[in-house]
Amino acid sequence: MPSRSAALVGYGRGVTSEDAAADAALLADLRGVLGDRARDNDFERGLYSRDGSIEGSPPAIVCLPDSAAEVAEIVRVCRRHSRPFLARGSGTGLAGGAVPVGRPVVVATSKMDRIVEIDTANRIAWVEPGVLNLDLSRALAPQGFHFAPDPSSQQVCSIGGNIANNSGGPHCLAYGVTTAHIAALEVVLPSGDTTVLGGVEAEPAGLDLRGLFVGSEGTMGIATKAAVRLTSNAPAVRTLLLDFDDVSEGSAAVSAIIAAGLVPSALEMMDQRAIEIVEAFAHAGYPTGAAAVLLVELDGLPGGVEAGVEIVREVAQKHHVGHVRVAADDAERALLWKGRKNAFGAVARIKPDYYLHDTVVPRSKLTEVLEKVYRIADAYGLIAVNVFHAGDGNLHPILAFDRREPGVDERVKAAGRDIVAASIEAGGVLSGEHGIGLEKRDYMGMLFSTHDMYTQDVVRETFDPDGLANPLKIIPTGSRCSDSFHQHVPEGAWV
Amino acid sequence: MSAVRPVGERSGTASTFPLQLDIDSDTLASCVACGMCLPHCPTYRVTGEESASPRGRIALMRDVAERGEADAAFVEFMDACIQCRGCETACPAGVRYGHMMETTREALASQTSYQPRLRRLAYRALGMPRLLGFGSRLLGLSQRLGLMRLVSLLGRVRPFRQLGAMTASLPRVPVRQAPLTASGDDVWLFTGCVMDAWMRDTHRAVQSVIEATGAGVALPPAGAACCGSLHLHAGLASDTRRLARKVMAALPGEAPILIDSAGCGATMKEYGHLLGTEEARQFAGRVQDVHEWLAARVDELPEGAPTSAPLQIAVQDPCHLRHVQQAHLPVRRVLSRFFDVVELDDDGLCCGAGGAYSQQHPEVAGAVRERKAAAVERTGASVVASANPGCTLHLQAVGLDVRHPLEIVAEHLNGGAPQ
Amino acid sequence: MSSQPSGAGASPAAAASTGPAAAGASLAANIAAEVTAFAGEVGSSGAVTVVGARTHRDVGGVPLAGTREVCAPAGVWEHEPSEMTVRCGAGTTVAELAAHLARTGQMVPLDPVDDAATVGGVLACGFSGHRRLRYGHVRDLVLQTRHVDAAGKVVTAGGPTVKNVSGYDLARLLVGSLGTLGLLAEVILRTLPVPPAAQWLEGDGDPFAAFDLLYRPSSILWNGSHVWILLEGDPADVAAEASKLETAGFAPCDGPPPIPAAGRESMRPSDLRALAGTAGGWLAEVGIGLVHRPEPVQAAPVSPANALLMDQLKQRLDPDNRLNPGRRPW
Repeated sequence: MPSRSAALVGYGRGVTSEDAAADAALLADLRGVLGDRARDNDFERGLYSRDGSIEGSPPAIVCLPDSAAEVAEIVRVCRRHSRPFLARGSGTGLAGGAVPVGRPVVVATSKMDRIVEIDTANRIAWVEPGVLNLDLSRALAPQGFHFAPDPSSQQVCSIGGNIANNSGGPHCLAYGVTTAHIAALEVVLPSGDTTVLGGVEAEPAGLDLRGLFVGSEGTMGIATKAAVRLTSNAPAVRTLLLDFDDVSEGSAAVSAIIAAGLVPSALEMMDQRAIEIVEAFAHAGYPTGAAAVLLVELDGLPGGVEAGVEIVREVAQKHHVGHVRVAADDAERALLWKGRKNAFGAVARIKPDYYLHDTVVPRSKLTEVLEKVYRIADAYGLIAVNVFHAGDGNLHPILAFDRREPGVDERVKAAGRDIVAASIEAGGVLSGEHGIGLEKRDYMGMLFSTHDMYTQDVVRETFDPDGLANPLKIIPTGSRCSDSFHQHVPEGAWV
Repeated sequence: MSAVRPVGERSGTASTFPLQLDIDSDTLASCVACGMCLPHCPTYRVTGEESASPRGRIALMRDVAERGEADAAFVEFMDACIQCRGCETACPAGVRYGHMMETTREALASQTSYQPRLRRLAYRALGMPRLLGFGSRLLGLSQRLGLMRLVSLLGRVRPFRQLGAMTASLPRVPVRQAPLTASGDDVWLFTGCVMDAWMRDTHRAVQSVIEATGAGVALPPAGAACCGSLHLHAGLASDTRRLARKVMAALPGEAPILIDSAGCGATMKEYGHLLGTEEARQFAGRVQDVHEWLAARVDELPEGAPTSAPLQIAVQDPCHLRHVQQAHLPVRRVLSRFFDVVELDDDGLCCGAGGAYSQQHPEVAGAVRERKAAAVERTGASVVASANPGCTLHLQAVGLDVRHPLEIVAEHLNGGAPQ
Repeated sequence: MSSQPSGAGASPAAAASTGPAAAGASLAANIAAEVTAFAGEVGSSGAVTVVGARTHRDVGGVPLAGTREVCAPAGVWEHEPSEMTVRCGAGTTVAELAAHLARTGQMVPLDPVDDAATVGGVLACGFSGHRRLRYGHVRDLVLQTRHVDAAGKVVTAGGPTVKNVSGYDLARLLVGSLGTLGLLAEVILRTLPVPPAAQWLEGDGDPFAAFDLLYRPSSILWNGSHVWILLEGDPADVAAEASKLETAGFAPCDGPPPIPAAGRESMRPSDLRALAGTAGGWLAEVGIGLVHRPEPVQAAPVSPANALLMDQLKQRLDPDNRLNPGRRPW
C-alpha cells in the first residue's frame, strides 16, 4: 500500500536545502500570526495531504486559524513568500480539490465553526466556514428551518466545502444546489483584502461575484463567513422504497415520475450491490434480492404529498415494481436515509479502496449509461457499485478495488476516464456536485472548447493574478500561453 | 472549539524511536478515509484537528506500522483518544478502531515508557480492594479535614503537578459505607473496584431494583475487585488478562452476571476476545448490562408510588454502553416504564470522562463536557440518567444532577425516598 | 436583447422543437449555424449592443450613440419534458417560450413585468419575477449559456443537465451583467411543472405575519396597507392555505394591480417593515426585500473592493469596451 504513506515518507525526498530554508522562514511568519496553530511536523503534514479522494501530497505547513482576521493574515504572509495556499474544510471532497499542489500552506477552517447569527426575519444565518452542514440544519430545526443542500456526507462536510464545490445532495432535485442557498459571502481575496460578495438585500448591486465564487473550489479566495438561506421545513414528508427486478425498469420509472409532473424532493437509485452493502451497515430492511431500488421522497403540504404518493405508486406499478414500502414514521425514514447516506464508506465492506465518480447524464440515458458503466468496470476487472441521484441524472459509479493489487491504479483511472467519456457522449457533464479539482481537470476539454477554458481562466485570473489560490485546480495546464504557476501535479496524482 | 488543543507543545523535529505495531495490513487498509467518523469523535469536535480524529489516528498508525518507528508526537496523538468508540458506530465500513487503538497502546506500554512506573502502580492498586478501600477512606478524610488544600499546594511544585490537577477534580469520597448483603443466587451483581469504594449506594439501589423483580442477588467475594477496563485502555492488557482470570474465578456457575457500570460491562464482554479461551467466551456470554436483563423483565417491576407529573429524565448514554455494547435502548425501556424520557440531540457524543482520561487530559475533557452540558440544557430536563460511574462523576463536577438510572428507579419504587 | 422580430418560426432550428432524438444531429448543426451567424454579426470590432424587446433599455444607462445594434437568435429549439429542460435562442420572447412549454404543462417562471420581453433580456437585466419567493431567482433557472464575447467568439458555460458543477459558473456572472461581458446567444433553462392550482387573495392583514403563517407562498405583494398573496400547488393544499388566510381576513381576488416598472429598490426583507404606511404607489415583495416604484431608483453603490474586481473583469473580458458601452450594472 505504498501511495498513501508515500505522502508522509516521501516528503523529505527532493526537497532542497533552499526549499527547507524558505519553509522555515514561512513557518516563522505564520507562527507570528497563529502561534503553535501553524504546524510543520511530518505527521500532521501527512494528515492534511489528502481529502476524501484517493491521492495526495503533503503541504509545507498546516495552519489552523480561528478567525477571519487570521485567515487574512495567513494569505498576506503567503503573498509575501509567494507561496500558494489552499483552504480545506472537513476533507471529504472526492475530486482532489483540497489536495495540496506546489508545497502550499493548507488553511484548515475546521476551528472556525461558529453559527454567528440566525436571522429568521430575513431567513438567513451567518455562519463560519467550518460549521458542519448537518449541525447547521439541527441548529435551525427549533425555528422550523433547515439548510437545503444535503450531500451524503452532510454529517461531516463543512459549509465552506459546500460553497467551494457548489455541493448538491439528494434534496437539491427540488431545492437546488448550494449556490441557490448562499445570499452573501465574506471572503479573503488572494490579495489579502477582505470583502463581502452578494448581500442579504434582494438584488445586490453589480455583477454576481457571489455566484462566481460559489463552486470556484478555493481558486478565488477563502470564504470566512457566509449568509446562508433558511428553507422552511416541510409540514408533510413521505418516503417510499420501490424495488425492481430489472435496473432498466427502475430507471424508466425515474423518467416516468418526472414526466408525470412530479418534482420529488429526492429520487435516489441503488443497484443490487449497493443494496447489499448498505443493508449490511444500516439494517434498514433494504430488499437485498432486488436488482434496483428507488428511494423517493415527497415533501410539502399534505395534499400534494399524498397525491404524489399515489402518482408514484401508479407509475411504479406500470414499471413492474416489486414492493412499494412507505416509511411509517420518522424513525423508519431516518433509517432508510442512513443507509443511503453511508453507502460510499460502506463499500469498504467489499474492497478497502474506492473511487467514486460523479457525472450527470440526461435522465432518459440512465439505463444506457449504467449498462456502459458495468461493461467498463468488467473490462478493467473492477467492481462497480451504483448508488446515485437518479432524479437529476447524477450518476455516482463507485469502483471498488484494493490498491495493494499491482497495476490496479492505472486500471481504475482508465475506467474512470471511460465512464466520464461515456457520460459526455450521452449528452452529460463532467461533474454534478463533486467539482473538478485535480481529478477532472484534464477532462475539461471533453466538455469545453479551448476558448471556453481560456475564458474561464481569464475570469479566475481576475481574482488571483499571481496564481497563489489553490493553483492547478479546475483548469488544465496549458489553457493559457503563460501558465501562471510553473508547478506540476505530484507524481501519483491523476494526471 | 477554538482554543482547545489536543496535546501539549509540539516541535517540528522530534527524535524517533523504534515501535512495532502488530496491526495487520487488512485492518489498517479497512479505513477508506471517508471522514464520517469525524463529527462523532469528541476530541475532533473540540479541536477541529485531523490528528485528534479517528481518520487521522488510523493514518498515523498505518504510517508507524510501515516505518517501524514513531516519535513523541505520535505518542501524544494516540494518548489524546478517549476511546469512546463513537467512531465505530458511525463507521460505514465497520472499521474496528477500538481494537486498533488498544493494540497501539499495548505496543506503546510494552515497548516504551508510555505508562510511567507511578501510573502503573496506581492501576495495579485498582486490583487490590483493601488497599483501594484504605486509600479511599484516607482521601475522604483528607477532603473533610481540609487537607486537600495541602495537596493542591503540593501540586504547584513541578513533580507533583499532575497529582494537584487530579485531586482538584475529584469528587467527595465517602469515609464509611455499609456492606451489601446477598439475597439469593439467581444473578450475580458485579461490584468492581472504584465504584464499590466510592459509590456503593449505587450498587445498593441496583440490587433493590433487581430484587423488586423477585430475583435473588449473589455478590462476589472481595477478590473479584477490578475488571481491568482501565488497564486495557492504558495499554496494560496483560494486567487486564490477569484480573480477568481472578474475576472469572470469583463468579462461577451459570447465573447471569449483571453489571451496573458500562465500562466494566464492555470489558467483561470482551474477555473471550482477550483471553482467547473457551471458558472466557462462555463467561463473556453470561455478562449483561443490568438494564438489558431488566428490560426483559420490566413488567415484573411494581408500579411504584403514583406521581402527579412524570419526572423528565434526560438519558446520557455512556459510550461503552451505546457504542461498544449497543445496550443503550434497554435503559430507556426501563426508565420509560416510570418516567418521561427525553433524548439529547448530540448523537450519543462522548461526555469526556473516559475512565482516567478526564484526569489525564482535563482541558480536552472539560471542553467535551461543555458540549454535553449544553445538550442537556437544550432538553430542559433537570435530571440526567447515566449508567456509568465515570460519566456520572465527570458530569456532576459541573453541577448537573446526574444519577444512575436505577438509583432513580429505586427511589421511585421506594416511594420517593433514597435507598 | 432579442429577437429577429416575431417571426421566430422562420429560424431554421425552430421547426425541430420537441423533436425525436434521431433528428439531433441536424438540429445541433442548425443551432450551431444560428449561433455562429450571430457571432459573425457581433464581430470583433466596433461598439455593439444587443436589443431585445426594448422593455428595459435604460437599466444601468443607455447605449452610447452610434453603437451598432444586433439581435440574438430566437426560437424554442429543444424541449424534453421528462428532462425538465428547454433550449432556446436568447432572442425568444418570454411569451413564446411560455406558450410552447404550456403545451406539456410546464413553465419557466421568469415572470417579467411585460412578457414581450426576451429571455436574453430578462437574464441580462437579472431581474427576478414576482414569484421568486417560491421559485427562486431567475439565475437559478439557467443551466447553460452560450454567449459571444468581445472577440466575436462563442463561449459555452455551464452544461445541459439539471445539475452541473463543471468549471467556473460564468452563466451566473452573465445574468445581471447587462450584456457588458458577453452577448447571450442561446440558453438552456430548467423547466417546472405548472402548478395544478393557483389562487390570489387580498386583504389588509399583516403581510409579515402572513408570510410566517404560510408554507412556501408564491408571492406576497404589499403597498404599505393592502396585501396580495399568491398560493400555488395541489388544489387541496391551496384551499387549506387559503382558508387560513381567509380566517385572517383575506378574500380571493383576481390578482394584484400592475407592478410599477420604473424603479427597483433593493433592501433586506426585514427592512420593508419601515415602509408601512408610506404612500407613493409602490409595491413591495415581502420575504424578498424588493420595492417596485413608479419612479426610477438610484442604483445602490458597490463597495470599492468589489468595484475593483468588476472593473478588472470588464477590462479583461472586454478590453476595448465594445460590448454595450454606456451601460454598467455597477
